[in-house]
Amino acid sequence: MIRLEHVTKVYKTSTRPALDNVSVEMGKGEFVFLIGPSGSGKSTFLRLLLREEVPSKGRVYVSNFDVAKMARRRVPRLRQSIGCVFQDFRLLATKTVAENVAFALEVIGKPRHTIVKVVPEVLQLVGLDGKADRMPNELSGGEQQRVAIARAFVNRPLVLLADEPTGNLDPDTSQDIMLLLERINRTGTTVLMATHDHSIVDSMRRRVVELDHGKVIRDDARGVYGVGR
Amino acid sequence: MRASFVFSEVITGLRRNITMTVAMILTTAISLGLLGGGLLVVRMIDKMQLVYSDKVQVVVSLTDDISANDKSCSSALCTKLLHDLQGAANVEGVTFENRDHTFERFKQLFAANPELVKLTRPESLPASLQVKLVDSSKSDALVKAFSNQPGVKNVNDQNAFLQKIFSALGQFRFIVFGIAVAVAVAAVLLIFNTIQLSAFTRRTEVGIMRLVGATRWYTQLPFLIEAVVAGIIGSLLGIILLAVLKVTLFDQVLGGLASSSVLPRLDMLDVVAISPVLVLVAAVISAITGYVTLRLYVRL
Repeated sequence: MIRLEHVTKVYKTSTRPALDNVSVEMGKGEFVFLIGPSGSGKSTFLRLLLREEVPSKGRVYVSNFDVAKMARRRVPRLRQSIGCVFQDFRLLATKTVAENVAFALEVIGKPRHTIVKVVPEVLQLVGLDGKADRMPNELSGGEQQRVAIARAFVNRPLVLLADEPTGNLDPDTSQDIMLLLERINRTGTTVLMATHDHSIVDSMRRRVVELDHGKVIRDDARGVYGVGR
Repeated sequence: MRASFVFSEVITGLRRNITMTVAMILTTAISLGLLGGGLLVVRMIDKMQLVYSDKVQVVVSLTDDISANDKSCSSALCTKLLHDLQGAANVEGVTFENRDHTFERFKQLFAANPELVKLTRPESLPASLQVKLVDSSKSDALVKAFSNQPGVKNVNDQNAFLQKIFSALGQFRFIVFGIAVAVAVAAVLLIFNTIQLSAFTRRTEVGIMRLVGATRWYTQLPFLIEAVVAGIIGSLLGIILLAVLKVTLFDQVLGGLASSSVLPRLDMLDVVAISPVLVLVAAVISAITGYVTLRLYVRL
């Protein structure tokens, strides 16, 4: 589902590569933690998958897309098959919960009748049925992140990228969000989550890919955050 | 593409930057009003050329001697001039007008000015040969050839006088177009700024649109339409401005000249005729400016 082959990414403003000859593969339906300290290359990794950046060397594949080589006009197709969740939720403050989720479908031209049907379904999946007409600022952090996850998942992406999704949440709420991501993972969606959260990684016992200074230094099938850290 | 979605985005965008939008609309209106003014002057020149082209003549005034004694161009000198003129190149026809006729016509022409008519003696008006040309713009040769002939007092080329009026109008048009261009530059810069501002205030939306895989057109179209809508509203205001100026300024100040048919009349129809041009210019310029701004300065 996701494959990086000898990927190096050097930013113009820096001499040290953000990613240094990284090769890694993630299969369909896998749940993978991407860990490492700040500046280790996690964000660059995610940005390459979304083609926010192109690699300086090497190849990137997501599903059937040759991400680095693909034509610019096909990029929206790639992004439609990837869902994204962030630490800061990125909800539209002027729209209701349902409108926020519907927005993701409206802007890719989905017909009204589809939107009316799938938005309540996905809100129920994330446990927000009954809160469709609330505004984001009326919700707790955990609920806001659920809206963001609903928006990322509403178009049934093949891959869900989560960049520190629990970074702004307390441990209990974080646990709920992880359960939700697990549920999404069980539908067959590949989930790749970048995180600093030790306890979550340790409790989930999933595959862990650790980056340091742009290199993969660990890839455990059932890993923990790190020994002695 | 869902029209309702794009439409609501456009309305939100225009409302959110209301001060910039108003500035953008007003400068567009003034610029296009001026452009329209220039176009109206062009139309006026065209009309004048049409009206005068079959009236313009070269008038060969005859000496006092002939004017006083020859009522029907029967003297040898006058007959020779008449024949020579008829035989000259570019001449369509020649008519003789004796002093009495000239005085009659003078009285008619200045009927509104009885003082002048009373003071003028027929003796002060010359008899003349009125030459109608095939091509009135090529009158120079004829004027030159006949200016110093015996029996000729002077040769008066009406075309030369008309050209002076045209060149004055042409300069006026040039100035109006010049100001229109300057204001248009200001309008373009404002469109430029408004779109950047608009994109900045909507960066979260645009960011999300990019991430969920909205196509470039879907993200950019609201901004483009926003610019074009403002441009078109501006051009409509400009047209209204022009109509108001036509009624208050042109009709009031130059109405007298127009009714005595020295200047051709400008109708509302003329304003209507140039309106589509103005709307189109506004739409095209704002669309191009919008597109270039988005391409160069806004990462969508």
